[in-house]
Amino acid sequence: MSFRTAVLRTPHLQNALRPGLQALRAKDRPHVDPEDTRRLEGSVDVDSALQSRQPNANRWDFAIGYRHANRQTDFIYWVEVHTASDKEVKVILRKLNWLRSWLQNDGKLLNQIDREFVWVSSGVTTFTLDAPQRKQFAQCGLAHKGKVLRIPLARPT
Amino acid sequence: MKTLKIRNLGQIKRASLAFGDLTVLVGPQATGKSIALQLLKLMLDAGQVQSEMGKYGLDWERSLPEFLDAYFGEGMRSIWQRGKTSVRWKGKSVDLKQIARHRRSKKKENLFFIPAQRVLALRDGWPRPFTDYAPGDPFAVREFSEKLRVLVEQEFGASGDLFPQERRLKQEFRDLLQRHVFSDFHLKVDKFRSQKRLVLGPTRQKASLPYMVWSAGQREFVPLLLGFYWLMPRTKVARRDDIEWVVLEELEMGLHPRAIAVVLLLVLELLMRDYRVCLSTHSPQVLDAVWALKHLKANGAKTNAILDVFDAEHTQSMRRLADAVLAKELKVFYFDRETGKTSDISELDPSAEEEGKSGWGGLSEFSARANSAVTRAAANARPEPAK
Repeated sequence: MSFRTAVLRTPHLQNALRPGLQALRAKDRPHVDPEDTRRLEGSVDVDSALQSRQPNANRWDFAIGYRHANRQTDFIYWVEVHTASDKEVKVILRKLNWLRSWLQNDGKLLNQIDREFVWVSSGVTTFTLDAPQRKQFAQCGLAHKGKVLRIPLARPT
Repeated sequence: MKTLKIRNLGQIKRASLAFGDLTVLVGPQATGKSIALQLLKLMLDAGQVQSEMGKYGLDWERSLPEFLDAYFGEGMRSIWQRGKTSVRWKGKSVDLKQIARHRRSKKKENLFFIPAQRVLALRDGWPRPFTDYAPGDPFAVREFSEKLRVLVEQEFGASGDLFPQERRLKQEFRDLLQRHVFSDFHLKVDKFRSQKRLVLGPTRQKASLPYMVWSAGQREFVPLLLGFYWLMPRTKVARRDDIEWVVLEELEMGLHPRAIAVVLLLVLELLMRDYRVCLSTHSPQVLDAVWALKHLKANGAKTNAILDVFDAEHTQSMRRLADAVLAKELKVFYFDRETGKTSDISELDPSAEEEGKSGWGGLSEFSARANSAVTRAAANARPEPAK
């Protein structure tokens, strides 16, 4: 199933699909850099779409659909733009837990599409490269990408 | 500015090293880090090096290739490329041929070199003299070994404990070393028949452990400890003789990360004593420490935060040490095998665009790959919802 179809068939995301990266807030756009923008399948502001339904939840920021040149199916980048410091680790992991749980219960079609959960630093990164936090992220399936998520034309296999 | 610029020397195509108070060199094996550090010694101590070589009967016949073999080690004449190699030190061109041609004699030594091969300095538990080595062995190893011999014979020869010793190193260092390197053992001089040797003994009364049964880490650490003793004399002066610079190659060798943390603290002690220290390393822990010092300083952290990094007590003398270190300039250079060039990666920015910078000169590559593989698997695992 394509990213676009999965979003359109997800009731919580009614009217949330935007072309290209238009769902991203202006201040967050510089943090995402696709190699070929024509391969973008659209984006969703998950945080805003679910604000009224789950106002107190630790909601995730965005989903971006992309068709890599070496793949037959869409790929989703679930992106959170957030301060990268030790004290924010718990917040991010709570958000990821919320997202996984939402995907299992209310975003089942999106949950079937291959993906990456990405934390992009909104400012300076203040934890080391091989700090235990990195292992913790890895175990949770969370990738920290520095200041910019670069989406390559072909996805490394 | 204390800058060493090198072109076409051994594996180095182009290097520019602007030294800080603490300078760390990283990069894969055989990329020229040790050549650069030995060259620095030559820039600072050509007269003393030649004087020592002459004293022990080394004669290079004023020829540069012979001199390079005698100084860097056998076969190292090949690092110099006729018409291509150039060296600049503090903005001035240095002619290596001139250094080889004019024999000098100078006792003053500016740089103390602790080589990576320091484990060779002890044989059967006793430091080897300069002349015990083959003529083609590197000067840095032979000289270090000779210094340890003089130190042990002149300052500890009468027997007794080398470690712990009340007037050597701060109490805090002694406690940490006891815990993380020597366990319950003391390092002391004893005699086997008529031969003096260093042994590890649980107490003065019980049987002692000779050199060959020490752990690999202890065998690596003891020459390093003696090097620190050399640099931190028992007298109230902070530094030994005219020495201003210290080179310490691969401080991490054979040591557990807790012991590495103690050695890093000892390096900070050298900085507090106003030595200018150059390290080469393959340990991400060393760069973690530099990274932490930079960020703690930038964020106006208190000295206790620095001590916490090294799991050190917050005593008055350790706080003084941490305070002194905050004022120091820290530099990191990466030796790139592919290009043969060096780059300044002192910012240690994990989110830098260039891979050499963000990956801290390759020291975190493996960890990054492991993380990446697990991240990918975990992101796409879809456990059944809990019922």
